[in-house]
Amino acid sequence: MSQHLSSREISQWMIDERTPQQEQHVRQCPECGAELARMEAALTLFRGSVRRWSDGQRRAEPPASGSILPARRGFWAQPLGWALVPATLLVLAAVPVYRNVQDRQRQAEAARADALLLEKVDAEVSRAVPRPMEPLVKLVSWDFSSTDGRDEKTRNEEIR
Amino acid sequence: MIAAVERPPSEIDDLDTVVRLHWPRVFRFALASLRDLDAAGSVAQDCFLRAYRSRERFRGECSIEAWLMRIAVNLIRDYARNRRLQFWKRAQASAVDLNAVGQWVPDGGASPESGAMAREQLAAVWNAAGGLSERQRTVFLLRFVEDMDLLEIAAVTGMKEGTVKVHLFRALQAVRERMGRPE
Repeated sequence: MSQHLSSREISQWMIDERTPQQEQHVRQCPECGAELARMEAALTLFRGSVRRWSDGQRRAEPPASGSILPARRGFWAQPLGWALVPATLLVLAAVPVYRNVQDRQRQAEAARADALLLEKVDAEVSRAVPRPMEPLVKLVSWDFSSTDGRDEKTRNEEIR
Repeated sequence: MIAAVERPPSEIDDLDTVVRLHWPRVFRFALASLRDLDAAGSVAQDCFLRAYRSRERFRGECSIEAWLMRIAVNLIRDYARNRRLQFWKRAQASAVDLNAVGQWVPDGGASPESGAMAREQLAAVWNAAGGLSERQRTVFLLRFVEDMDLLEIAAVTGMKEGTVKVHLFRALQAVRERMGRPE
């Protein structure tokens, strides 16, 4: 192999993709050797600079595991716990109001039912003839004027 | 009966030790990926919390470090995707000062010329890494900052080895392009 390594071949070399011919060429070619050394030196510098940058940060120091795991806080230490207090009070205050409304509705219904019953009783009491005797009333009517269309004189003649 | 169902004690159960041993690497990887101190701290914290909460699923098929890095890779990806706009704004605001990069170049008795060249190349790599796609940046950082081999990167990212190679090759091409030709 007499040609110098191409840019692609140098990149492939850096990821350990190389042929024995290329290895032999690099051993003999100062230019290719220098280019590979330049590349390796830049990457080594980069590695060192990242590490130094990171190591210089306060946050690079391992924290205590307690600060990583969320603390198991008590019920009252949680915002939800405090939010439940007014909600519970609201429910407790609303229960008697709701019950009161229900009681009133029930009383009103009972009063309406009583009124209906009384009306029925009134209707029964105010009948001229008891219900069982109603068929007889149809047979014998005392109110002639209302049973058929004939006048009193005609009926009297019929009786005689 | 109960003893048969119980999980044997795992390394992750001792969270204090796990944090102490692995925090620096997880934080460093998050910082290099996101270039934001607060975000890196949050991601690292979330990484250990998730690992601890899902410790039942850790069966020791890989090392605990690889498992943590896998969680970190996913968290960083989600973070960058969910907060794309904010992420770029913050990244611009708190981006690494490339003039300060020079401070990290070890002197080592080098000549002023070679020191300046090293700083230039370092800045080029930083800039190139910042412009890589999310996957390219991930594999690039895992390979050249975290020193992982291709199989480890494949395990951590969930990619196939061939896919890792492709992303790494493209990342290196971008870096080389940014570095330019030697004078």
